[in-house]
Amino acid sequence: MSTKPVYDRTHHAKMATGIGDPQCFSGKAGPAKFKEGDRVRIKDLPDLFYTRTMTYTRGATGTVVKLVYESPAAEDEAFGNVDHPEWFYSIVFAQKELWPEYSDTFSNDTLETEVPERYLESA
Amino acid sequence: MSSSTRNEVHRHLETVGYMQPALHKQTHAPSPDLIDHTLYRAYTRASHDVGGEADVPIVWAEKEEEIWELNTFATCECLAWRGVWTAEERRRKQNVDVGQTQYLGLPYYGRWLLTAARILVDKQYVTLTELVNKIDELKKRAKAEHKLGEYVTPQAK
Repeated sequence: MSTKPVYDRTHHAKMATGIGDPQCFSGKAGPAKFKEGDRVRIKDLPDLFYTRTMTYTRGATGTVVKLVYESPAAEDEAFGNVDHPEWFYSIVFAQKELWPEYSDTFSNDTLETEVPERYLESA
Repeated sequence: MSSSTRNEVHRHLETVGYMQPALHKQTHAPSPDLIDHTLYRAYTRASHDVGGEADVPIVWAEKEEEIWELNTFATCECLAWRGVWTAEERRRKQNVDVGQTQYLGLPYYGRWLLTAARILVDKQYVTLTELVNKIDELKKRAKAEHKLGEYVTPQAK
């Protein structure tokens, strides 16, 4: 008899088959904390082991342009944890907000990126 | 805007820009008091989070995928399809767990391939003993049929 730990390694594949990912998490994150147009600041959570919330956005203030989907955050999904889906928001920043030396000639330039709800606080 | 966080972020980006992989430096194995918060954060960051790091320009060249690269991609997608990993788990292993030296030093699909082997060992589909023995067997077979390092023209099955 094998001494290896036994657990269902295909649980995520079963959840997503025929539906897709992140569609399989739709409706599972509960009510969204923010809405389109809200001003939000990116929290500087510890960036240990894995994150997809770029360090250069930490502490910066942007605007919610869209609620994009519900999904486990990268910090969970990257280790096979899919039990706590949350809302993902598309946030637009002024480039000038992110890069202090950004040229005033292009002061209208923006950058848009997706961030899970845990990183957002009202600004 | 919380300026202390922004100051820290920009100091961090400046620090990691200096942190190119080095083979031999006198600063290796520092005593704990030499690692302040700034250095600790720079060392422990996710190596794929390169946005904002100062670096030299690199040459962009268009290149078609080679057969081994396409086979590697297909293998990794099959592992996802059979539930061995999710895309996020794969990215963690191939972009971050490999560390900065391998992240910047190995070819893109080289990291995919290395990671496909790694997930099979980590999740106990094969043992490292089995993998090492197989690689050794293939090396010997290749050496018997070709010179080591000889280019072998890919053939369709």
